[in-house]
Amino acid sequence: MFDTLSEIWATLSHNKLRTSLTGFAVSWGIFMLIALLGAGNGLLNAFMNNRFEVETNSMEIWPGRLSKPYKGMKEGTWISFDSKDVALLKSPEFSDVIDIVSPEISISSTIVLGAQHVSANVRGATAEFKDIEKIKLESGRFINSNDERDFAKVVVINSRLAKNLLDDKENYRRIMGSYVNINGLAFKVIGIIHTDEMSSSNYCYAPFEVVKMLRGGSDRVDGIVFTFHGLSSIKENEQFEARLKEAIARLHYASPDDTRVAYIWNRFTQDLQTNKAMNIINVALWILGIFTLVSGIVGVSNIMLISVKERTHEFGIRKAIGARPWSILKLILGESVTITAFFGYIGMLLGLIACQVMNATIASNPLDVGINEEGHMYLYIFKDPTVGLGVAAGATILIIAAGTLAGLIPAWKASRVKPIEALRDE
Amino acid sequence: MALIELKDVNKTYFGAQPLHVLKGINLNIEKGEFVSIMGASGSGKSTLLNILGILDSYDTGEYRIDGKLIKNLSEKTGADYRNRMIGFIFQSYNLIGFKTAVENVELPLFYQGIGRHKRRELAMEYLERMGLTDWASHFPNEMSGGQKQRVAIARALVTHPDIILADEPTGALDSRTSVEIMDLLGKLNREEKMTIIVVTHESGVANAADKIIHIKDGVIGSIEENSRHDASRFGDGSTIK
Repeated sequence: MFDTLSEIWATLSHNKLRTSLTGFAVSWGIFMLIALLGAGNGLLNAFMNNRFEVETNSMEIWPGRLSKPYKGMKEGTWISFDSKDVALLKSPEFSDVIDIVSPEISISSTIVLGAQHVSANVRGATAEFKDIEKIKLESGRFINSNDERDFAKVVVINSRLAKNLLDDKENYRRIMGSYVNINGLAFKVIGIIHTDEMSSSNYCYAPFEVVKMLRGGSDRVDGIVFTFHGLSSIKENEQFEARLKEAIARLHYASPDDTRVAYIWNRFTQDLQTNKAMNIINVALWILGIFTLVSGIVGVSNIMLISVKERTHEFGIRKAIGARPWSILKLILGESVTITAFFGYIGMLLGLIACQVMNATIASNPLDVGINEEGHMYLYIFKDPTVGLGVAAGATILIIAAGTLAGLIPAWKASRVKPIEALRDE
Repeated sequence: MALIELKDVNKTYFGAQPLHVLKGINLNIEKGEFVSIMGASGSGKSTLLNILGILDSYDTGEYRIDGKLIKNLSEKTGADYRNRMIGFIFQSYNLIGFKTAVENVELPLFYQGIGRHKRRELAMEYLERMGLTDWASHFPNEMSGGQKQRVAIARALVTHPDIILADEPTGALDSRTSVEIMDLLGKLNREEKMTIIVVTHESGVANAADKIIHIKDGVIGSIEENSRHDASRFGDGSTIK
């Protein structure tokens, strides 16, 4: 065993150019596979990270305008939603599909605390809203039904607003229980919602009826968000959306086939499409990576074949002085396995290092997508660009196995060399 | 019983036109003999050498080494027989270029499965006998033709073979070195009773042997005893056309 290894080592180290060329092909293949998969994972992770964290089987519906004249209503007339629309969605007509219904209203305002003031978007929320939007509280509680009933002047603000109001990045939670001024009214802070450091969100929540009052008591709602169940395919979703729009059209005396009376954002179907897109990206990355890997393997096989041809005379000599076919086979197979294993391992290490470099550079620098009225907006285009150790090890084992296969044909050819070749002049 | 026995050995190359190369060779070579086989190119001497060296097969007849029938051997057995019974010396030395002198000499022992240290020891011993101790770690391309051929002889001897087969051993050497190499082979034969068969077309080389076997058109023409080795040394008119 040791002798065979040292024989392999002797051959490889005396044919440095050939060895390093073959090795480069292998290293490159595995490096590209790991770097590609890492980059792909980085993209996908960033994508996942940037997605809204909401209940995925929920829809949001906003009013639109008429796209055709109907019963005296002119084309282009804006319609608006109010409590009748909310009631429609809560009615038994849709109870087979719709679960929780929550109307949406909001008002742009300024929150004042002592000398500090920040502009904010005050949203009206019902207690159910928390479940639909998957709101994550850092401390305190969300608006509950008592607040709604009592018209309680309470507010749940996000951590970013809290930090700005207190001008304190560390102990901003002491804002809990303080009274802030919104539109001249004192609101008690009852909860803090976690928000990403990078996000520009400046929303806060107050009880629905209170925000309605701030808006002058109008019955109008900006939109309605609701959760649903039992719609598993895109087709079922589309059918339901059409049915909902028809009911809305009826309610607003619009043509029943007017699809522009309302806009629906279906997070469930969007999610399906996103998942599909991500799967496609994933598969494409694997295919690309495997092709690079295959080119590495073909490189090994190719160079081994050429080297066997080149070394016909040498194998002839070896056989003439007593090498059995098996020992020649062993030598060539050993060479290709050694090359692929060693350089495959190096390629894997380099690939993992490349992933770390990507992590330290691109991934740590979110993209500044511009300035809006609240400040900078940041977007991650890259996050955790890493490949599982299992994948990396698997790929390396794969290329070693492939290296054996790639060496098999050349090795077999070498073992068939007739010893008479030794007597022929080169 | 003779060490090498050939009985009516026939060999035909089947190509576009079948070529009957050996037409019934009968030959006995005793242990300890120094024999040369002479013939012009195309006479069948190379084919005979290949068969003697178990590098090629023959069609009919019998070839025995030390009583063992050498016929229809598997590649593996052929390799083992070559390794243990035959030491080759080639015209073009056939050393492996990326191995040092001592590594080349070790190689047959490697194929016998002999351990590393023992191998190195034996190889160094034979290199020393060839006067090449200082060249042990040199590569073939750093050595002269004569040195290379002596490395090849060390490689042939290191396994203690029954037969040394030399194929035009001086073909690539100048006349002075040729004399040295042939003297070395003669010395091996005299002092160690080594059986040596030299295939050549040069009468000067053939003359170093005790017995000269002439082969012509696939049959053995004449066998001449040669006791006067200095009858014709290398020089003008010594080549049989």
